[in-house]
Amino acid sequence: MSDVVEVFRQDAEDAVRIVSGLLRRGESGEAFRERRRRVSWTATEAGLLAPAFADERGTAVRLRRGRESLLVAREGDGPEALREAVREASRRAGGSPFLKSRGVAQARAEAEASAPDEEERAAQLGAALHRALPDPRGLSLSLTVARVAVSRAVVTAREIVACGTVRCLEATGVLRRASAARPFAFQTSAPWAPALDALARALSEAARPVPAHRAAGGRVDVVFSPGAASVFWHEAVGHPLEAEGGERGSVLTRVARAAVAPAGVFVTADPTRGDLPGSYLADDEGTPARSVALLTDGCVDGLVTDRRTAGQASNGHARCGDFRRPPRPRLSNVVVSPGRASRDELLEACGNGLYVREISAAHADPESGRFTLFVESADLVRRGALGAPLGPFALTSDVLWALRQLHTEVGDVSHPANGLGLCVKGGEGVAVGGASPAILIRGLTAVRGRS
Amino acid sequence: MSPGRDGLLERLLAGSRCDAAAGESAEAYERRGTSIELVEDADGTRLSVVAERGFALRLFRSGRTAFAASPPEAVDRLPFEARLVLGRARTRRGARAAGPVVLDRASALTPPPPPDEASARALLASFRSALLAEGEGAVSLTEAILTVGARKERVATTAGRDVAFGSGIATLVATVTGRTAAGSVSARVLASASRPEELFLARLAHQAVDRALLPLRGRPLAPARGDLLLDPNVAAPVVGRLAPAFFGDEGDALLASRTRDGRDAFGSPALSLVDDASAPGGPVKATHDGEGTPHSRTVLVSRGIAAGRLSDSAAAIRLEKPPTGNAMRRAYTDPPAIGVTNFFVDPSRGVAPLELLRALARGFYAAVLLSRPEVDFAADRFRLHAAGYWVEKGRVAEAVSETLVEGRLSELLRAVEAVGDDLKFVPSGSGGAGSPTLFVPKWKGA
Repeated sequence: MSDVVEVFRQDAEDAVRIVSGLLRRGESGEAFRERRRRVSWTATEAGLLAPAFADERGTAVRLRRGRESLLVAREGDGPEALREAVREASRRAGGSPFLKSRGVAQARAEAEASAPDEEERAAQLGAALHRALPDPRGLSLSLTVARVAVSRAVVTAREIVACGTVRCLEATGVLRRASAARPFAFQTSAPWAPALDALARALSEAARPVPAHRAAGGRVDVVFSPGAASVFWHEAVGHPLEAEGGERGSVLTRVARAAVAPAGVFVTADPTRGDLPGSYLADDEGTPARSVALLTDGCVDGLVTDRRTAGQASNGHARCGDFRRPPRPRLSNVVVSPGRASRDELLEACGNGLYVREISAAHADPESGRFTLFVESADLVRRGALGAPLGPFALTSDVLWALRQLHTEVGDVSHPANGLGLCVKGGEGVAVGGASPAILIRGLTAVRGRS
Repeated sequence: MSPGRDGLLERLLAGSRCDAAAGESAEAYERRGTSIELVEDADGTRLSVVAERGFALRLFRSGRTAFAASPPEAVDRLPFEARLVLGRARTRRGARAAGPVVLDRASALTPPPPPDEASARALLASFRSALLAEGEGAVSLTEAILTVGARKERVATTAGRDVAFGSGIATLVATVTGRTAAGSVSARVLASASRPEELFLARLAHQAVDRALLPLRGRPLAPARGDLLLDPNVAAPVVGRLAPAFFGDEGDALLASRTRDGRDAFGSPALSLVDDASAPGGPVKATHDGEGTPHSRTVLVSRGIAAGRLSDSAAAIRLEKPPTGNAMRRAYTDPPAIGVTNFFVDPSRGVAPLELLRALARGFYAAVLLSRPEVDFAADRFRLHAAGYWVEKGRVAEAVSETLVEGRLSELLRAVEAVGDDLKFVPSGSGGAGSPTLFVPKWKGA
């Protein structure tokens, strides 16, 4: 898979010529090539069950003219697929197809996977599951674990731009005990061995019995662990600053440049952080990845944009779930600068409240600013110290209110978030990441005892 | 040679080189699909036109299964990829290629015709008009995504099965924004059908307006004892979450624990649950499942009593019953898994929803869901975050901006006293989930 992007380049000259020939005055556009290799296993509490291998290859040609855009997608990532997509795009756009071939060799060198290690990887995965659940009595597990590698490249009118190859280990499913079912989602872009260790730890943690204590409903002060805080920033600041829906499309774009959080809070969308799952070299329109300031010193600063919303001034956040879908401005890694407070100092400042360790899902309405965080793991905080563990519940509030209630001091270390891996918007998932220090927000609303 | 007659499927099946004497069999699958997606938002219009062809192979050996999928250009590697991991798969009784019944004379797959772009644009324009009229200026369309697709599939096995069939799907997803003096809120609603002309635009516009304006116009309601009327928009997603309890033999333990091994009823006598790929108004209209087995009408709960299971070929062998045709493939890259076609509460003994509304002495009519319903079948809990109307003596007293309806799922199902005749579907899992209006008298948490 590491050589796939090189395979994409094998017909570079011809591909670039075809794309430049497709574009007419007043039009912009590009071609997009993707190859996705996925090896997955269904797993139960007894171990691995059925393996599945999927190889997906696709080409999309995209054209933009004024407020109209067109995407034509075909299976295959070679010269023929590109020609076929260009022919169809040209027909639909009302132009004549530009398909004179210069006799590019049809047989492309294939970057085949190093297949023989597949059995060994399966054995290692099985061992990791066994480590995670040494005694699965009383537990029913229904899981799909997948090793995914996605390579992407964009053919512009001038060159082929490699977006990079993203490899990750992902697991989704449900853990059931007699008393409750718990959704499980995990994703990491770490190398294979550390990724397996992280999966085993996450699964072991998720398999613990659900605590009997339930959070009381109503207003509550909440300290978020670094991982949980990353989800908060992603929902509360990241989504409202995705450039869609015009200048008044969200609660934060309506107050551009205003101070919405305490001074000293810096939040960026940073796809160049290679250690986080949402990283890439260039976005899915071929614009080089770059860090974008979302909040600077507590003030609303920038938006993440693509070429449709910002033209040539795109800041490299056009992303699509796969080659069949048009790119949209989407988040990458939301990174928050650390402050000076230790966790104990934040708990002390909290007094009585909650310490949220893990958030399993969240959603936000950028229009109204209302957001909901589904808490999977949390502890009571009493007199500045951790107390009893709590069962699942939800936290809800308003973005502007929550940012105003953010404690002026944030944690002293910005940790990568393990629980943040996939963001689904409009049914389309893209890999995302986050890194944040622990934070304290006062006056969120807890909705007790989420079932 | 035309694209449909290039013999790739036959080559794939032959390339699997199954040794029948060693208990090996294979299933080859081909899918061709075309779709268009039209998106209208504040930044303009986007049209996506997708044409695809993909292949998949399942190898079976002595109860072990391995799956591999690729586009045509890599189809020759599929037997190698599947064999690579087959040895490590665990054995399960019943896992083998389906056959040898030939249910339909297979024909080479020609690509389905591309959906019509002009009709799609007209349909979106109609929805926009319906929404503007229904919303009376307080609701605007932020984004509308219309997807129309058609596909043809073929399944062939070394056991003699060779079946080709086709299907279609149309989905409309709308994000709307409601603005009043009380503030603004955005919401997403969706509808799906097997053909674009079966999308009920006026009904979706009405639902979108309720979803956007009720949270702004009503007042919150604290949970209180009272009658409960669940609109199909609210009941159908809950019904959809019940489906996994009927998935082959895997849902058996779950179902048994909730019905004390069948000694207790699953629901009230008013409640019957059915899976039927030919149900009127259902988003799935197909003749066969992803293994080439004909779909059938399966009664899962008959007047409150659990009566059936959904199965694929393997689960049917384990259950020692004929397969129900519920092996569903979401994409050619996914192996078939048990899923629903159109899974719904049978409305055949239902009454007009207005009659149910009149029966409400004092209670809550849940018109729309404000967030995804929480339904935990294992823990026997549910929670609905809904908006609607407070009703007294069969008449609407006031709008409710939000309330929680929660409690034991088994109690809710057993307390349904009457159902309406207004069956509606929402997309759910591999197909659709449907319900008419449900009437629950004297619910303790509404």
